[in-house]
Amino acid sequence: MTDSWNKAREAYRHTPIPEELAFAVASAVRSGSRRRRRLQAARRGLTGLLAGCACFVLLVNASPTFAQAVSAVPVLGELARVVTVTEYTLDSREQLIDVRMPALELPENTDLEQRINTEIRARIDQVLQQAEERAREARDAYVETGGSAEDFIPVVIDVDYEIKCQNGQYLSFLLTETETRAAAYTEIYAYNIDLEAGRELTLRDVLGSDYLELANEAVRAGIARREAEDPDASFFHDEFGFTSISEDQLFYLNENGEPVVVFEKYAIAPGYMGMPEFTIALPAE
Amino acid sequence: MEQTVHQQLTAFIVEHQEDFYRLAYSHVKNRDAALDVVQESIVKALSKADGLRRSESLKPWFYRILVNESMNYYRYTRRLTPLEEAPETAAPAGDHATRLDLYAAIDRLDQKEQLIIRLRFFEDMKLEEIAQVTGVNLNTVKSRLYKALRKLRDLTGEEHLYD
Repeated sequence: MTDSWNKAREAYRHTPIPEELAFAVASAVRSGSRRRRRLQAARRGLTGLLAGCACFVLLVNASPTFAQAVSAVPVLGELARVVTVTEYTLDSREQLIDVRMPALELPENTDLEQRINTEIRARIDQVLQQAEERAREARDAYVETGGSAEDFIPVVIDVDYEIKCQNGQYLSFLLTETETRAAAYTEIYAYNIDLEAGRELTLRDVLGSDYLELANEAVRAGIARREAEDPDASFFHDEFGFTSISEDQLFYLNENGEPVVVFEKYAIAPGYMGMPEFTIALPAE
Repeated sequence: MEQTVHQQLTAFIVEHQEDFYRLAYSHVKNRDAALDVVQESIVKALSKADGLRRSESLKPWFYRILVNESMNYYRYTRRLTPLEEAPETAAPAGDHATRLDLYAAIDRLDQKEQLIIRLRFFEDMKLEEIAQVTGVNLNTVKSRLYKALRKLRDLTGEEHLYD
């Protein structure tokens, strides 16, 4: 290796490293791990479903009694599912958009199916339109304050969904919209459907009439436990802290059918805590 | 077991973050853009970590993602014209009047050549690893490397860049 290479290598080593690098890396590591868990959960969900189907076929073939027993059970959950109807990417000066739009397939209840699907579509359209306006505003502001339009870093928008619970009785999935500019901001919408009753679920449906106390107790206990276990965890305890779940509290059902309440970023804890979630145990029957 | 691959990857990322930044910066030539590229690569790598086999070496696997993100950055934002499309910046080969410093000369190479040179000489990668990172076969790597070295020799006037 010649001197010239040593000098060039030295010059390369001296590329100034921005102060925020460590922070940027740490936050990327965090969101990468989170996305990975999400993917894992989705894969697990799928394997469960496939295993379920395989079992089913096998048993029907194996035992006439079982086939009879099954035919007596109203086949509800088997046919309901969430599918991706549209998947597209938009790429412009102001923004990069990735959308995976879900739709519900509910052969037993086409009314509900249509209502939910229209709502999802309207919501995504609205979200994208607003995001587009914000992106344009951000760009205009950037240009007005002396930035060149060429240098504007587009807003990245990612619309996706995640199935949280799917069984014969319930179907629960989340629709997420993440907008990334200087920081990422995620908005979540939940769809929780009672397949038997053919309508959307409320916390009262799942937890009974004491739902408010049960949920509040679980959240308070969850906050206390997390703060005790993890020295980095912190929640607001002043007037901004948690008092009670709201009327239209965001929640989903986990794979065990237990409700999980989700709080917006900053709602009850500092931003670095992300969107805190608390699982509420089902009351003993 | 997955846990350990994931942990290894996280440790690798944290340990080599400055190397990633330097490589990204050398391609996008913009501080914020390079930070974006590094972040996006990390998020991608970690969410794909389960696809990484235990025996596979982390370095070329991660650099492949990093390099793709760096290259894609132009495609998405068009914030800079890639050098291969800007011939006016390239010094005329064999112009002995304007001898360049080797480090500056690297920027005059086309994107793929720059990458190979940086991976080989600044990141100390083996040619096999470079082939993995760039997704081309070993012979292509070799021929690009020698072509790049010849260009560098013309640009800098130095004879012994590769012994």
